[in-house]
Amino acid sequence: MTYLALDVILTGYLWMIMSKFNEKTLENLKKLCRIDCTPEEDKDILHSLGRVLEYVELLKEVDTTGVASCNYVLQSMLKNLMREDEIKDLLPREQFLSNAPDQIGGMIRVPPVIKGS
Amino acid sequence: MTNLHHLSAVELNKAFVQGDVTALQIAEYFLKRIENHNQQLGAFLSILGPRMILKAERLDLKRSQNKPLGKLAGVPVAIKDNMHIAGEITSCASKFLKNYRAPFDATAIRLLEQEDALITGKTNLDEFAMGSSNENSAYFNAHNPWDLECTPGGSSGGSAAAVAARLSLIGTGSDTGGSIRQPAGFCGIVGYKPTYGRVSRYGLVAFASSLDQIGPFATTVADVALTMEVIGRHCPHDSTSLDLPAESYSLNTTLADVKIGVPYRFLENLKPEARANFENNLHVLKSLGAKILNIDLDILKYSIAVYYILATAEASTNLARFDGIRYGIREKEAKTLDEIYEFSRKEGFGREVKKRIMLGTYVLSAGFQDAFYKKAQKVRTLVIDAFEAAFAECDAIAMPVAPSGAFPLQSINDPLEMYLQDIFTIPANLAGLPAISVPSGFDSRQMPLGLQLVGPQLCDVPLIQYAHAFEQATQFTRKIPPLFKGSAS
Repeated sequence: MTYLALDVILTGYLWMIMSKFNEKTLENLKKLCRIDCTPEEDKDILHSLGRVLEYVELLKEVDTTGVASCNYVLQSMLKNLMREDEIKDLLPREQFLSNAPDQIGGMIRVPPVIKGS
Repeated sequence: MTNLHHLSAVELNKAFVQGDVTALQIAEYFLKRIENHNQQLGAFLSILGPRMILKAERLDLKRSQNKPLGKLAGVPVAIKDNMHIAGEITSCASKFLKNYRAPFDATAIRLLEQEDALITGKTNLDEFAMGSSNENSAYFNAHNPWDLECTPGGSSGGSAAAVAARLSLIGTGSDTGGSIRQPAGFCGIVGYKPTYGRVSRYGLVAFASSLDQIGPFATTVADVALTMEVIGRHCPHDSTSLDLPAESYSLNTTLADVKIGVPYRFLENLKPEARANFENNLHVLKSLGAKILNIDLDILKYSIAVYYILATAEASTNLARFDGIRYGIREKEAKTLDEIYEFSRKEGFGREVKKRIMLGTYVLSAGFQDAFYKKAQKVRTLVIDAFEAAFAECDAIAMPVAPSGAFPLQSINDPLEMYLQDIFTIPANLAGLPAISVPSGFDSRQMPLGLQLVGPQLCDVPLIQYAHAFEQATQFTRKIPPLFKGSAS
């Protein structure tokens, strides 16, 4: 009962937030995703995500009380996979670096990340 | 030999083994077809001509030395461009990976070449396999060989178009929500999504790891069976690869005592043309001895909502690796580490990919995870349970592949309407089930339609047998689109 009540409150609260899916939410989301967009993309993405989030509201009507989350789809085949902790299938450094956009002295070059360095 | 492209993979392999045709002749023949038709079809992003010729010459040498030949000896195979072939570009139809050269072979590729398949090239797709029409390719559209104004479907549209137009006889695809079955249906060929884990995904660029599965396209069910014998193997490099012996796919032509379930209520909104075709298909199944029974799968109406939460959530984490640091493009203007991420991803990713990463990040973000991600995972459990209950009563489930035949390019602009195209294919991914798309007729525009059969987990062999029986009783496979019927030259 308590769970149900909590669920209702929580869902109501979320609906309130979701109805506010706006430019600000999008800006925040872009930061979280480390993705920049053109203004045209912003407009389209805002519209599309609004539409899709509205649609997935559909799931609210499904009663999932006491239902377990699906973490692996083939329950009959579920088992732990262990192996020896040994080095194998190494990718040679030269081959690995061949795809790197910028490199120096056999390593990948990135801008300084520690201030003052 | 003339008209090699009218043969199935099994037949071409036989012709090669018997010495009716050389591997070099096969390679030159299909490369010529690709050269002649790829521009109008947009099926291939890269053509591996010199590599194919070299492999063909080696294969001819092997035969002349009487060495044992592989199961796919001489068969031209097209590879979706999200699977690695060592030393070749894997672009995923994304600008992000336009120069990325794969450092190793995907297991599926290694297995295909171990059995002497001849790889023709890398095929077009929706960027990172995200889409249902191939319109999200960063390079160019792929077209449907039956009507070039129409989509070949997606995301594996390039492979489907290549096989349907007989530019290759086998294709590989990856199916996360229908990306093999829907394009197969739209292009009038056979497409198979195996049980989750049946084919190793090592070397496949991940989209949504709890759903992705590699599978074949072919012009006949027998060719699909042959390809599955080759690629359906355990692989220690993929921890989700099923640790089961490879199966042998003998083919039946009867459905005596086979019970086929139909979720009538879930299908009640089918449009008249799709419904009429589906009813005809059921009639064929009945005539082969199958019993048709009504099953309850009402829960499937939530599949798309579940899918677009789970698939985007997984994609948002899988695609975090594209950061502009280790591989892929790096925006030169970027001065700080954050700018490298942001600018590279801005330049590298197309709109649909950005959209899905953002949606996935949103549904996983603090405060929303319970309402979206965890809720969807629970409903996924209900979907799996519903299928399990259904399979207690029946051996396979029949549904259409898609709500209609292939739609015209640029005709669907609403994202939700596009997502709803996958309503019949997504459920099999959610439940890890094997599912096959078999040609089942044509609509009033003469565009192909497909029947989908879905089986219980791990029951890949019987499912392919049922599909073979259906195929043998109908005349819809092996039809070649009129534009591509003629010989190479």
